[in-house]
Amino acid sequence: MTSPFRSYPGMVGGLLLLIVGVAALFGPWLAPYDPQQFHPQVRLQGPSAAHWLGTDQFGRDILSRLLHGAPSTVFFGIGATLLGVAAGTIIGVIAGVAGRWVDSVIMRIIDGFLAVPDLLFTLLIVTILGGGMGHAMLAVAVAFTPGMARIARSAVLSIRTREYVLAAVARGESSVYIVGREVMPNAMGPIIVEATIRVSFAIMIGATLGFLGLGAQPPSTEWGLMVAEARQFMFRNPWMVVVPGIAIALAAMGFNLFGDALRDSLDVRRSH
Amino acid sequence: MTEFTVYRRGFMVGLAATAGILPGVSLAQAGDPVRGGTLRISHSTRIATLNVLTLSGPAEYPVIDMVYSGLTRIGPDNTPLPDLAESWEASEDATSFTFNLRPGVTFHDGSPLTAADVVATFEAILDPDIPSAARAVLTMVERIEAVDDLTVRFHLSTPFADLPFSTAHANARILSKAVVEGDLSQIETTANGTGPFKLETYDSARIVRLVRNENYFIEGKPYLDAVEMHLFPDLAAETVNFLSGDVDVMLNVQQADYDRIASAPGVNALRVPSGRYINVVMRQDQPPFDDVRVRRALAMAVDRQLLVDIVLEGLGRVGNDNILSPEFQFYIDSPEIPYDPAAARALLAEAGYPDGIDITLVASNRPAIRGQVAIAIRQMAEPAGFRINVESMPHDTYLANVWMQGNFYMGYWGMQPTEDATFRLLLTSDASFQDTAWFNAEFDALVELGQATVDPAERARIYAEAQELILRDVPYIVPFFEDVLTASRSHVEGWTVQPISRVFFIEDVWLNRS
Repeated sequence: MTSPFRSYPGMVGGLLLLIVGVAALFGPWLAPYDPQQFHPQVRLQGPSAAHWLGTDQFGRDILSRLLHGAPSTVFFGIGATLLGVAAGTIIGVIAGVAGRWVDSVIMRIIDGFLAVPDLLFTLLIVTILGGGMGHAMLAVAVAFTPGMARIARSAVLSIRTREYVLAAVARGESSVYIVGREVMPNAMGPIIVEATIRVSFAIMIGATLGFLGLGAQPPSTEWGLMVAEARQFMFRNPWMVVVPGIAIALAAMGFNLFGDALRDSLDVRRSH
Repeated sequence: MTEFTVYRRGFMVGLAATAGILPGVSLAQAGDPVRGGTLRISHSTRIATLNVLTLSGPAEYPVIDMVYSGLTRIGPDNTPLPDLAESWEASEDATSFTFNLRPGVTFHDGSPLTAADVVATFEAILDPDIPSAARAVLTMVERIEAVDDLTVRFHLSTPFADLPFSTAHANARILSKAVVEGDLSQIETTANGTGPFKLETYDSARIVRLVRNENYFIEGKPYLDAVEMHLFPDLAAETVNFLSGDVDVMLNVQQADYDRIASAPGVNALRVPSGRYINVVMRQDQPPFDDVRVRRALAMAVDRQLLVDIVLEGLGRVGNDNILSPEFQFYIDSPEIPYDPAAARALLAEAGYPDGIDITLVASNRPAIRGQVAIAIRQMAEPAGFRINVESMPHDTYLANVWMQGNFYMGYWGMQPTEDATFRLLLTSDASFQDTAWFNAEFDALVELGQATVDPAERARIYAEAQELILRDVPYIVPFFEDVLTASRSHVEGWTVQPISRVFFIEDVWLNRS
């Protein structure tokens, strides 16, 4: 395996991730103002020395709101992906290891779910569960599960017939040992790559739900919600839309580029 | 962007007069009206029903105002004008009213309008088994009598000088007797009225199209061949379509867009001071709002001028918890409630909440200012010890789960034509939308008395006393009165809105293409 940071996209992705990571971990302490504090005298202004990224309709500092919104936005993406990956991996490994009719039944059901696009599936779940960050995260996780299950299963299938697995079977090891010590460690590569890329989609779906009013609720500083709230004022202060919009794009791009680079460095066929 | 103007009431009343009268003047100066053309009106809320007895949607009112006529109609100066009734007389003691109908009026299906249709309509409105919004203002009507084919007499159980206002209620339009006695559910989607326009297409998800009624009872009107009501669920799309000239009239303009639209070329923006308000509902039959000191503390924790400046963009006036606005005849000047979080915190402590209150304030997402006011109040009331969690929700969810049930939410009401209608809508114990649990027998008695009193000086005294009770007990926080905002392209002549936004006089509108 080569370092993913040696490729140009990998470097850019890594740099973006670093920025997003710092904002997500330390954003609330870096913010110059209370994100909810009104400054009525300087409403809807562009960047200035006092407010680096301008102010919104209540005169709230956009930079402070952006930094306070970073943790919820980024951790939403990571949390939803982790949940989806965990559920999908378990289902995929069960299908892949069990084989035969268990595999067929699980995979046909998964295929059914895969027929529905991620965003549509998420919207459907949120509509049933009701809005809010928790429900939205759960919905994204559920929507990710079928895809992850397919990837986990294919990884398991390609490993199941390798010599070291057959050797373990010949040694008479328990199936838990075989899955845990022989199959899983070798199947994790593709799963991690896929998960990294999916974080970017989760961030975008989360922002979309916030934008549609189904995720975070005002006065939350979640980025998608910031764009939605800003839309009414975008002709008076375009910065209100542009700033959180670019932030979402950069965070998504960071995970996406890094995931691509990670895949390239893990994939033996393409690394040379 | 950042200039703030503080309006004085005197100036605003002057503006109200200008807004009410000037369109008429400019109409006279613009030359002779030309017949023909289609007027396209955009709106952002669905025309969910055409049921004239019950509907209450902002875009539904102009449709029924075009299709139906009432006995009387509220004019720009907030007084009743003749509509189907040419004239009316009240008995000396205001217990009997005689309305003389216009001769020769026909419904859109060709049948003639007679006193029997009027009687059938008002009997349906008063029938408790038929849902109707106008019943609350007609409770004193004992009997309606058709004296002859063109004369209708109302017999009242108590004297009521404002009956011609009640008969002008937007939901008290005259249906034909055949419709009332037939299957009433058909008025949800069809309409047979006597108004200036006839319903041609009704598609609640897209468009409602009306065409000229050639037999309208005012000779030569309407001027327009047709009117189309186009639905734009997305506010940004509505604005873009209006500015590009794809529609002629924007029924309601959002405060945030008003300056941009008003300064666009070829656009006439109209701003009419109104008694339309946001009210913070605080149910009194449960803690914490069962204590008037908590309600007063919250009232003092709201910076009203700031709300007018940043939420209404200056397009409104400060309110001080009186649900009557200065336009009302018997309005009393309410003392200013200054923003004083320290005093509010002290009062909250005195009420038994020294550590403040944690509470959830619900705001629906339509109109957009509901949520913005809630967020602003959350921020303003924080130093006073109110830790408010704002919960926003889609309007339909709010109507189903919170409205009339919750203990702390944002209400939004249009202006009513009279003091009596305003009080009976929300505040009397048997009000149509009683959501405060403020059951005050003294207030109820004053409203009854005010309704039955004819002498204006005496009524002024009674209604002043009723308003004093409102100011004393703070059933609602009314932080401001919002101006009604609308806009039309400059070729549209005669488009106006009224402070109560129920009558639109679209039969006077014409298109000046010269």
